[in-house]
Amino acid sequence: MARLSSPADLEKLRQEILSQRDPDRLCVTICSGTGCQCHRSEKVVDAFVHEIEKLGLQGRVDLRCTGCHGFCERGPIVVIFPQQICYLGVDTKDVSEIVSQTLIGNKLVKRLLYKDVETGQHVAYENEIPFYKNQKRIVFGSNQLIDPKRIDDYITLGGYFALDKALFEMGRDKVLQVVEDANLRGRGGGGFPAGIKWETTRNAPGEPKYVIVNADEGDPGAYMDRSLLEGNPHSVLEGLIIGAYAIGSHEGFIYVRQEYPLAVQNITIALEQAREYGLLGANILGSGFDFDVQIHRGAGAFVSGESSALMTAIEGRVGEPRPKYIRTAVSGIEGKPSTLNNVETWANVPLIINNGADWYRSIGTEGSKGTKIFSLVGKVNNTGLVEVPMGTTLREIIFDIGGGIPNGKKFKTVQTGGPSGGCIPESLLDMPVDFDKLTTVGSMMGSGGMIVMDEDTCMVDVARYFTDFLTQESCGKCVPCREGLRQTLNILKNICDGRGKEGDIELLEEISEVMKDASLCALGATAPNPVLSTIKYFRDEYEAHIQKKRCPAKVCRELITYYILPERCQACLICARNCPTGAITGGKHLIHVIDQEKCTKCGICFEVCPSRFNAVVKLSGEPVPPPVPRITKHILLVEDEVIFRESLRDWLTEGGYQVTTTGDGEEALKVIRGQEFDTIILDLKLPGKDGIEVLKEAKGQKPSLKAIIITAYPSPETATEAMKAGAIDYLIKPFNPETLERVIAGVPEAKPEVTPETNER
Amino acid sequence: MESIRLEIDGKFVEAQEGMTILQAARGAGIDIPTLCYDERLAPYGACRLCTVEITKDNRTRLVASCVYLVEEGLVVETNSERVSKIRKMLLELLLPLAPTGPLESLARKYGLEGSRLTAEQTSCVLCGLCVRYCAEIKKANAIGFIGRGIDREVAFLPEVAPKVCASCRECFAICPGGKLASETDGVRFPISIWQSKQELR
Amino acid sequence: MSEEQIQILSRLQQNSNLSKSDILLRGLEILGEYYSLGLDQPPLSLELRNLEAAAMHHAEALRQIRKKEEAIKQVIQELGSVDKAIDKYRGSKSALIQILLDIQAQNHWLSKPALMWVSERLGVPWSQIYYIATFYKAFSLTPRGRHIIQVCLGTACQVRGAPRLLDKVMHVLKIKPGETDQEQRFTLTTVNCLGCCALGPVVVVDGNYYSRPSLEETKQIAASYE
Repeated sequence: MARLSSPADLEKLRQEILSQRDPDRLCVTICSGTGCQCHRSEKVVDAFVHEIEKLGLQGRVDLRCTGCHGFCERGPIVVIFPQQICYLGVDTKDVSEIVSQTLIGNKLVKRLLYKDVETGQHVAYENEIPFYKNQKRIVFGSNQLIDPKRIDDYITLGGYFALDKALFEMGRDKVLQVVEDANLRGRGGGGFPAGIKWETTRNAPGEPKYVIVNADEGDPGAYMDRSLLEGNPHSVLEGLIIGAYAIGSHEGFIYVRQEYPLAVQNITIALEQAREYGLLGANILGSGFDFDVQIHRGAGAFVSGESSALMTAIEGRVGEPRPKYIRTAVSGIEGKPSTLNNVETWANVPLIINNGADWYRSIGTEGSKGTKIFSLVGKVNNTGLVEVPMGTTLREIIFDIGGGIPNGKKFKTVQTGGPSGGCIPESLLDMPVDFDKLTTVGSMMGSGGMIVMDEDTCMVDVARYFTDFLTQESCGKCVPCREGLRQTLNILKNICDGRGKEGDIELLEEISEVMKDASLCALGATAPNPVLSTIKYFRDEYEAHIQKKRCPAKVCRELITYYILPERCQACLICARNCPTGAITGGKHLIHVIDQEKCTKCGICFEVCPSRFNAVVKLSGEPVPPPVPRITKHILLVEDEVIFRESLRDWLTEGGYQVTTTGDGEEALKVIRGQEFDTIILDLKLPGKDGIEVLKEAKGQKPSLKAIIITAYPSPETATEAMKAGAIDYLIKPFNPETLERVIAGVPEAKPEVTPETNER
Repeated sequence: MESIRLEIDGKFVEAQEGMTILQAARGAGIDIPTLCYDERLAPYGACRLCTVEITKDNRTRLVASCVYLVEEGLVVETNSERVSKIRKMLLELLLPLAPTGPLESLARKYGLEGSRLTAEQTSCVLCGLCVRYCAEIKKANAIGFIGRGIDREVAFLPEVAPKVCASCRECFAICPGGKLASETDGVRFPISIWQSKQELR
Repeated sequence: MSEEQIQILSRLQQNSNLSKSDILLRGLEILGEYYSLGLDQPPLSLELRNLEAAAMHHAEALRQIRKKEEAIKQVIQELGSVDKAIDKYRGSKSALIQILLDIQAQNHWLSKPALMWVSERLGVPWSQIYYIATFYKAFSLTPRGRHIIQVCLGTACQVRGAPRLLDKVMHVLKIKPGETDQEQRFTLTTVNCLGCCALGPVVVVDGNYYSRPSLEETKQIAASYE
């Protein structure tokens, strides 16, 4: 790779690359972000390589591994250029069909296309899929067009043109002016105007000045920065170099969490390639401006993503926050002026330079310009990364783009802003999302995490979860945060475990106040938000836990019991076999019962019970019904047809009953006198004494005897007679043995006939 | 050295540039309670007991006075209702850790009889005075912090302590919670901190 | 010499193919070097003793090393990897965390000798190194299993039933989070969000992601790693 020593060189290189690329040539692109790699996208890549080679298509078809496309729910995603046909959920076994049908035959493989849920229509092209159509992907959109490991791809899209323009056409002052005019606000959560921060650092006394990319993205549920850094690292780098130029910094840091190995790998490659081209290092593009970057990995601490803590970590000390009365823009790394911005913020800079402040201001709301990338996750159909203009409403994001809540469940709340944010109820779904609106209702946009929750979510559990997270991540230096979280977590755990007391909610609010007011850093000061916002909008759930020891959403383990509904149990044994503590008793024809003493509330039985039975339910705040008493032990079966009698006897014996049989009515009466029976199953048509007679005499002898009549010849008269004579039920042959079982067990509601099917998962 | 004029509790105070509000207040005879502050050491800003209310350009906020530098025209309230409430809550959070000693008397001063909260009584409030004293004054680094969050502890480091601590023990006097004196008789120190809670867990 | 001492000496001779006089001569040479390097005097003598104690402790933690000389050889090897990491960052104190990350990645833990060596070479106080090693979750002060199993407990996974998945994994491996199984095959940890929320709940083994495994699949996954 030849070093570029002037803008003309860069332009020449771009033309060269473009001339070597045929826009009409077939190119198979496969998403290779971490999300799709979880779906084994690298195997899909291998399969394509193999298939293309096998058919000798190397000369005609290119292959490109791209960055994350964002529609993570439906990965691995394959997009075929130039048509931009989009195949979702591609597996290795689909590859040969795609190659033969689409690449060679120019036909669509319909089953791999997006199918509209309502109209049933297939959508062939990526940008027509509703998920993508309703977004404005000015920052994230390039991911799908480039291979992050190849700088040339970025250059063909016009990459580094903004850097060229900044260095040679605009100059430092103009660059700063444009970024300030555009009102680019920090995308990491703080929303501070980037231009003002840059200017502060530029004017602050002290050398050297530093610029930093904060890629420590720690909010659980947020992964926008990871996908940007993995998928388009040059966009971030270009923005960083432009910023460094405007500020007068020659040394930069990219702080990435070590939990993002692919991002670390791709940004390392990007830096090397940029250096080779002379786009980074000494005398960038021949401009005389020197600037280089070091990568610094995090070591597993959320708190170290706080700006002052991050800078302390870069100094080689423990990444604890410092009091920020003097801004880090003035006194940062080693007391020198340092500008820290989020990954997404830096990625916006080249766009602003290329298109101007006016263009940028035309997108978004009055106070929040441009777009924002959100990670839309949780109980939502189209999980993934979504980029929309600021001011888009929550409803549009969750329902129009996100496709609403899966499994027919009801929306309950959306958690925004991660552990520093709060939950927003359904009544506020039409709230526009930007830096300022959400804070008015007790939450915040934060870095863009948007976790959708449905009716099966317990809000007290959510508050406990976030508090637990923060308790583990707090550095522990200051009292309000460390001790405040310790006590808050304790109280919330007690509430979830059924040990909540009157006054707990008020105590939580008191502790929250001191945390908000007196904490050393933003982690402590915003830690109470999940607790306070759930109390604000879902106080009734807290009260149910405390006063009634009830979890309305049936989540909190100590407050729920698992119970098998006898009327739905089909005695298939699946739950019993899977129970880790052996708490379920039952047999092949015996209704299963959970021994509550042994049950650990793991929920496996609930999960494995076949959905068409749905026999396992969760109860909360109500007593568990006593198990159906097994009072039947010894059955007398009176049936003259031998084969039927024997098979029914075998079936009942297998079910655990003791069975005595006879084919004759007189015999039956004699046997009743001699042995103890609790139940008699009586055929009506018997040789000698008929069934009704036997019934009357048997009941006369033993009034407590449970009698069940079975017959092949039903008539309303005999039925009435039998019931009058004391039978508890009257079954018509052929009947389902399980119905008989239920009658024997004394279950009041007998379910209509269900044929026993083979067990499936 | 520029002189800076600010108002503390309605009183006009002259201070030097580079001083903190705490230093300026104490210099003027106004007492602000502290736990993790010692004038021989760099301010730490961890206990937050020294929180005061400041007003500047019509904006009021709460800051830790031991680290906030004085500014011209600053208006400071060291014991407003809001501040008092904060201090009381902070003490209520700390009392379970070290119920007797300086904390007890401070708590009573703020009208706190006991604490509604419970925690393991470690006799250590993690003020860091011992750690900082050993690092900044003695330059021995024989005692240090380990862990983070609620698992944070202070421990004599057996790789260093046995060599230097027996003849020093100056950190004992500085400890407000009572842990140092109670744990070591000044002669024996933990044999192996490697068997700390971290490992055993 | 006692019977025992004769046995030990003969065993040593068998292993090293040296005669008794060879061994004694070698010992004198080593002693000479020992004294000439000043290793018999404080402070070096104390520090050497510290390193020896650390090596023995290290051997104990690894549970496999039986002989003293093996332990010392192992430690020298480990110190070599520490040197490599430090040299990569040109001995810069501000790269301390990066150096420790490299050592952790190579050895699967931060042993006491390794940390003492970092303190020695970088000139950073022991208290700071120890604090960093215990502050950050990426570091382990005890040996970790050959394979790391991480169950994601991030919010999105939580909402999709991550605790049930954790139960399944604990049931299959028979260990709790933070623990390593007896054969040192697996160390189980929980993570607060891996960033692949669309696949939740997720379990990762050595960087391989498994989305929503059933109990049966979990058993298979565990069995596929040695």
